[in-house]
This record gives sequence, structure tokens and C-alpha cells, in this order.
Amino acid sequence: MATEGKFRYSYNSLVYAGEDTAASVDRVARFGYDAIEIVGEPEQIDAKRIAKLTRDAGIGVSSICSIYTPERDLIHPDPDARKAAIQYVKDLVDFAATMDCPTVVVHPTANMKIKALADPGQEWQWAVESIRTAGEYAARRGVSFSLECWNRFESYFLNRLEQARRLWGETGLTNGGVQGDAFHMNIEETSIADAYRESAGVLQHVHFADSDRTAPGGAHIDFVPIVDALVEIGYDKYISFELLPALADPFSGGRHEEFFDRYTERAIRVIRAVEDLVRTRRALGGKG
Amino acid sequence: MATTGPIPLGLSTFVLASPFSDADLGLFGKVKNFGYEQVEVCIEDPSRLTAPAVAKAAAEEGLSVLVCGAFGPNRDVSNEDEERRRRGIGYLRRCVEFAAAVGSPLVSGPMYAPTGQARLLDPPARAAQWGRAAESLAQVAEDARAENVRLAIEPLNRFETDLVNTVEQGVRFCADVGADNVGLLLDTFHMNIEEKSLPAAITAAGPRVFHFQASENDRGTPGSGHLAWEQVISALREIDYLGSIVVESFLPTVKEIARAVSLWRPVAESMDALAGDSVRFLRPLLRGRPASGGQS
Repeated sequence: MATEGKFRYSYNSLVYAGEDTAASVDRVARFGYDAIEIVGEPEQIDAKRIAKLTRDAGIGVSSICSIYTPERDLIHPDPDARKAAIQYVKDLVDFAATMDCPTVVVHPTANMKIKALADPGQEWQWAVESIRTAGEYAARRGVSFSLECWNRFESYFLNRLEQARRLWGETGLTNGGVQGDAFHMNIEETSIADAYRESAGVLQHVHFADSDRTAPGGAHIDFVPIVDALVEIGYDKYISFELLPALADPFSGGRHEEFFDRYTERAIRVIRAVEDLVRTRRALGGKG
Repeated sequence: MATTGPIPLGLSTFVLASPFSDADLGLFGKVKNFGYEQVEVCIEDPSRLTAPAVAKAAAEEGLSVLVCGAFGPNRDVSNEDEERRRRGIGYLRRCVEFAAAVGSPLVSGPMYAPTGQARLLDPPARAAQWGRAAESLAQVAEDARAENVRLAIEPLNRFETDLVNTVEQGVRFCADVGADNVGLLLDTFHMNIEEKSLPAAITAAGPRVFHFQASENDRGTPGSGHLAWEQVISALREIDYLGSIVVESFLPTVKEIARAVSLWRPVAESMDALAGDSVRFLRPLLRGRPASGGQS
């Protein structure tokens, strides 16, 4: 269980697609997670049932992994389309609130969309307005937003944390901040650790995966300096593992066995060990 | 025994102009002045490039030429349709002739399928596509052998292709093509996404590494991001790599493979800065060193 000043751990159930949520909640609890991340499909997923399942298992719901499709595009040039996207995010806020979930993940445009449909300055303005509108609603329900960056192949809009910080700042919202995913950051950031460090104070949520999107410890990201940066900035929210198979469109179903027990166990064991190392080293006064 | 000689450095024309044409040959002077020994000419539009003009311009600057291809949907050696495969093979043969004419020892690139094609095929459909690609490239390899040209096949990351993503798959694909003048082009940008370890992947490919491209993790200037360059170069030395290293990035004007490249923000102050800074960073790592050890 979470202790003061430590990270809390979560696992994104996105990769458990096709499985009954009861089995997912059970697995995550069994391997020592504090919470589970739930896919943002309020019409397919019964929030009240998940609230009960998680409560009974002694874990929480860390975050909503929103699914941004072309029909849920917060910067679409058609005002009705934007309105529909804003409504989707508001529905997610209600969905989250039902499960006592603190955070809804926000990205301004559709996943895999890589072409602007309007002038970039105009799209930026729509992003500010749409997120602000939905965010004010979220604030009233006690829910926060985390504005996530995706790599260049999944979105043209926000690729680096610096861009997300600028956009978040322009919304004027105070319920939330930005989110960095180590898989995307490995492609886009000059230094993953520095990008987190520069987000001190506005880092709302963290996704971890190794460089090939499998569980940390399997590929080449060195998580020690990254965790050190998170400890340094006093990050004490969730680290959620978003692990996905090696496909251009990983959201298209199919069961990938290693992402169930094997990676669920490995992810938390590896990063907890790194967290222990980093905190111990800092407590003993240095890196040597 | 690990190689100790200097590794030559080249610059991709993707950094200079796209699509690169005879009208751009004046830029070879810049390549020389940046400090490169080689220029890698990418044949995006074959009708706009002539081999004698390229060879002459390169010779005037004392540059050697390498040839790489750009593989859009109409250059698909893996297509189910025979006529479309034939067109893909035709383009590659043109690249091979071009290479022979300009003195390039190889033609490189992701020549097995259209770049940017990343679908969800079931395993039998993927195996069939793999088989068609290998068969087509076996034909091209035979012609290439007659011209003394090698083919260097480039694995691409998951977002740019669904056929050959990892070095391990690349080695297997080369084996299926079954010609000793077919090997791999490894590119650090793709390896950073797909490989468990870049040095281990280089070691595993060993003598199949025919060619190498350097790009930072975000497609920016080598040395400006988080790739472990010294380990990468050490691994190349350990496998007795005798090829060169070509610096590659892309101008926003790139057309043939724009979707695949997906560059939405400048990754360097300018392309000239990227070209010049790459030499300053890589050159010291590529110098020869005494054969009698001394390396850590």
C-alpha cells in the first residue's frame, strides 16, 4: 500500500482487452498494485461495478485511459464535432467520479491523426477552449486532467512535454497538469529525466513502458535517472504502466499473453526496486 | 579482430533537398565543406536524376556516392498483384543500374514493402507477403550481383512498416532471400524503438550489417539526444564493420514517404546546423585507433 511521499502504482487495463474486469482487478491487486487504470468507454464499462470490485479488492482506480477517435476530436474544425468531443470528456469525468478516480487523460486530437484539418494557430486555440470547457466541469466534480503527449506517429499535435506545459498553462486550469509516457518520450525527448524535471509542479500523471513498449527492465531505457528525477521533483502520484504490443495500432484487440501475468508482475517489481534504490541512495546522501 | 581504421562519414540527400534532383547537385560542395567523404543519394524521383551528372558532381568535390531508394505504394515488391510487384522490381533495378553507374557499392532502404504500410494482417497473410517480398528481392539480387552491387535492407519501426521491424527479423528475411549480396542497413532511429539493446542487435547481425545510418532518437543531430553513441560505434568495431555511417534526417518537404516520416517540429536549428554538428560529434568517435588495444 502507498506510503506518504512514495509513488503509487497502477496498471493500464487497456492491454487486458477482452477480459472480464473482475479478473483484471484481481490480477492487479494480487501483484501489489495500488490501483488500476480503466479504459474510457463509459457505455461499455459499468463504473459502479468497477467501483465495487476495486473497493472489495482493496485498490483504487488511478486514472481513465481515454480513447480519442476521429469522432472524439477536441480540435475538429466543425463546432458540433468539438462539442461532441467535449461531451465525451465530460462523460469521462462523471465516469471517473463514480469510481473515485482522480484523473482523466486528455489528448486534444484523435489517436493516429497526423494531419491538421485547420490552421495550426486556430487548432491550438480550439484545444485551449475545449480543454478549458471540459476542465471547468471536471473541477466542479473534483476530477483532474492529465494532458498527455504522444509520439509523432500517433499524433501531430503534442509530442513533447514542453508543448503540453504551454497548452496547459493557456487553459488557466488548476485541476491537473501534464503527463509523460516513457515510450513516447524515448522517441521525442532529448532527455526523459529532464523532461519530467522541467514539469515539476505540473506533472499530473506518469505512464511507464520500456523503449519497445514492454514491461520496464526488458529493453534499453535506464529508469534509474528517470525515477531519480521524479523523486527529486517530489512526484507522489501514480506511475501507471501502459504496455502495448508492437503494432502501429495497438488498440485493435487480440490477446497478447505476456502482457497479462508476466508483464504485470515484472513492471511493478522492476520499478519498485528502482524506486527503493533511488530513495535509499538519496537518504544515504549521494549517488556514490 | 575488431576494426581499427577510420569509418567514413556520409550525408543523406534527404537533409539537402527532397525530392533530390540534378538541379540540386551544386549542394555537393556544401557536403564536402561540412566535412563528409560520402553523399547518399536518395532516388525519390528517378526521372529527375541522371547518373553521369551525379557521378561528375561528386567527383568534382572528391565525394563517393551511395544510393538509397524511397519506397512509396507504387514500388511494392511484396504486392499480391504481379504487375505491381513487377513495377516495384523495375524501380529497384533502376536503382541498381544507377548505383553501378555512380560507383555505389550498394542500394539501401526498406525495399521489401511500401514505407508507411502498417496493417493488422493475420499470420498467414503476413507470411505470404514476406514470401513474395523475399522472392522479388532474390531476383533483384541476381541482377545486382552482375553489377557488383549489394542490397542493404532496412528494418523500420512498427509505425512505418508491419513486415521487418527488428534486426532479428531482418537477419531472417535476408536468409529467406538467400543471396550473399543481401544484408542489412541499420538505422539508430528505428533501433531505438524496436531493439532491446542497440549494441546487442548490431552484434547479432554481425557480417550482415552492410550499411549504417545515424540519427538521434528524435531524428535530430547525433549527440543531441539520449542514444548511447559510443556503445553503438564500439559494437560496429567489434563486428569488423567495413562500411560507412550516413547521417540521415528529413526535410519537411519529403513527399514519397511523408506519412512514414511524421516530422511535425524542427529537430535542429536548421538542416545545415544538423549536417555540420553531426560531423563535429561523430568524427572523433569514428577515427581509427591503434590495433594494439588500449580501448576500454
